Amino acid sequence: MYKQEGIRKKHLATLEKIKENLEKLNEKIDVLIELRKVNEKELQKFPDSSLDVITLLNLPDHLRKTAVAICRNGRATAEEIADQTNRARAMESSYLNQLVIMGYLKKQRKGKKTCFYVERGNES
Amino acid sequence: MSKIVAVHSYKGGTGKTIMSVNLAATFAKQGKKVALFDLDFRAPSLFAILRCEKIQVWLNDYLNNNCDIDKILIDLSSRISGKGKLYVGLANPSIDAMRDISTKDRRWEMRALGHLLSLKNKLFDEQKFDYIIFDTSPGLQYSSMNAIVTADFVVVTTTGDCSDVNGTKRMISEFYKMFEKKTGIVINKILDDVARSNNAEYAKKIKETYNVPLLGVVPCFCEILKAEGKYLFPQDKSDHPFTNLLYEMADKIEKSNIN
Ligand SMILES: Nc1ncnc2c1ncn2[C@@H]1O[C@H](COP(=O)(O)OP(=O)(O)OP(=O)(O)O)[C@@H](O)[C@H]1O
Ligand SMILES: [Mg+2]
Repeated sequence: MYKQEGIRKKHLATLEKIKENLEKLNEKIDVLIELRKVNEKELQKFPDSSLDVITLLNLPDHLRKTAVAICRNGRATAEEIADQTNRARAMESSYLNQLVIMGYLKKQRKGKKTCFYVERGNES
Repeated sequence: MSKIVAVHSYKGGTGKTIMSVNLAATFAKQGKKVALFDLDFRAPSLFAILRCEKIQVWLNDYLNNNCDIDKILIDLSSRISGKGKLYVGLANPSIDAMRDISTKDRRWEMRALGHLLSLKNKLFDEQKFDYIIFDTSPGLQYSSMNAIVTADFVVVTTTGDCSDVNGTKRMISEFYKMFEKKTGIVINKILDDVARSNNAEYAKKIKETYNVPLLGVVPCFCEILKAEGKYLFPQDKSDHPFTNLLYEMADKIEKSNIN
């Protein structure tokens, strides 16, 4: 009885691990797809990568909406941004990854969640 | 639904401050909980107009991340009868503070934008405010642009002066539109004869010129000039025609849908 329970737990943990890895892979694929879709020039890393209002103004329309949404919290998951913009989570995830590539956002995995955040530096 | 309203214009002296103060008073008079902020850091004026004394902390301090928003909100609810609430957050009028703001870099402005955007969480979600009103500097100053990005609704004031028309049009089509801002226009200081002909035809003409709806046409009133901002019209001059116009404009803002 106990033994069976143990095995079940072990299997569950393995499945969880596989799911987590798949999610990571998915995200990496998202980024790759975006990189191919978007014109290289647009994704150039800018030397001054502050996400301020001038930068927001110069972003393509679809990214601007995502960027404004993340400025509100400073930190969010694709899901939370999708809630604000009323767009699909997968779409926001790919836009957020574009902003990461452009150097405006940073990305951090915490457990199963991927958080995107604006690096605001030291407040002064 | 709660809204942030920014009052802005292309040129100076078009009536932003008068409109902000009195719109805030109108919403408060309707029983709402309102916060009015002076985002005109280069020429702060709410401090003088609202005759606030012994202020220690300013909106500047909140944007500098030196204090929480609660610390800078001054309760002026006693100036309005009824159950509405009116709070104000003031820009520091000292020369040092004005100079300090003018030397900020892009990273500071980015953080300032974050602090403004987070007012939605702090004042709407946590403290149940109904309206936040921003009085701004004219033109595309950083603080004004931050205010507009943060706002749900932009009230543009213009005197319809020919040098203002083109700039206002460009600002609407090249800036507000980029951020998908709901916008309404107020034609202010209109001379009497034009005001009297204020009708559907005129509203249509304005709509065609600016491509945004007309919120109201405010004639040039000597009482506004004489008041030097001392009256809250909805409270102190309740039967003045400007007060009626304010209620009409407040109504249109209230009814506009935002996403
Ligand atoms: N409808 C009006 N009738 C008469 N005077 C008016 C009217 N609207 C505004 N004024 C006067 O015009 C002057 C400028 O108004 P106000 O300070 O509100 O403009 P502003 O847009 O905030 O200016 P600034 O760009 O300098 O901040 C004030 O003296 C005010 O009393
Ligand atoms: Mg003013």
